[in-house]
Amino acid sequence: MIAVELEEKKIHLVQGEYKVSDDPRVVFSTILGSCVGACIRDPVRGVGGMNHFLLPGPEVGADARDVERIGVHLMELLVNGLMRQGASRERLEAKLFGGARMMQGLSDIGQKNTEFAHRFLKYEGIRIVGGDTGGDRGRRLQFWPVSGRARQSYISTGVESANRASIGRTPAPAPERSVAGDVDLF
Amino acid sequence: MTIANKLEVMVVDDTSVSRMLITESLAEIGINNLQLAKDGKQALAALMSKPVHLVLSDQNMPGLDGLGLLKALREFKPTSKIGFILITGSPDKSLIERGKGLGLNNFIAKPFNTRTIRAAIEAVVGKLS
Repeated sequence: MIAVELEEKKIHLVQGEYKVSDDPRVVFSTILGSCVGACIRDPVRGVGGMNHFLLPGPEVGADARDVERIGVHLMELLVNGLMRQGASRERLEAKLFGGARMMQGLSDIGQKNTEFAHRFLKYEGIRIVGGDTGGDRGRRLQFWPVSGRARQSYISTGVESANRASIGRTPAPAPERSVAGDVDLF
Repeated sequence: MTIANKLEVMVVDDTSVSRMLITESLAEIGINNLQLAKDGKQALAALMSKPVHLVLSDQNMPGLDGLGLLKALREFKPTSKIGFILITGSPDKSLIERGKGLGLNNFIAKPFNTRTIRAAIEAVVGKLS
């Protein structure tokens, strides 16, 4: 018997996006700084999805509850997208990535994003089965929505520092090079 | 007594955080006579035994979605006149037109805030205070 390796279909997500797929060839990828990427999957149905969100900071004038509502909306889009493809809410499991503290001296937006995601998943009864959040380095994240496999590599803080002047408080660092190697997270 | 005090409202959303956020906004507006349901089917069963003045319902829900609930309510005489506001993350024209055809009174796009909820309700029932 000859094993046939399927060609991967790579789909990149940017901030504010979400994608869902039940295609075993699909691999979602994104670059996370203080943003959070939630990878949610129904292992029985074999469908998964990823989002990439950043809650607005206090400087845009939104009050705390408005910020919460925006976050809820972004998480709901992903959950609804999964359910439209036949996922069951009761079976959903999640992995959370990102939420790094990219700028010293400013409020810890990464932590705020991570806390929000944890709170949302807890209220919705969605189990967290893995992931990696916090720290002070950006992450390159890949997620295979059918198998649930996730892989991340850290991005050099040196690269992030070099981009700081041009990106202001925007958290996404440039994906120049990995300093820690790829780490598979199951 | 204001309209807000008298108004009986049902909130239907399968996301418990959303139900909580809608409930908080309604409390801020002064609407506290609430029933909550986690999907269209549960809402329909509750409304058939005890109708309310107004339903605020999410669109995307498993089983019976928002417009499915609206259709069922309009077809049952005791619930046919209930005000219905759809809350949706994807308020595309075809969805709203389909809703209007079923007797939708108004819609709210997500993410919402208390001001938009109040405005949408007042457009249906009149000034709340």
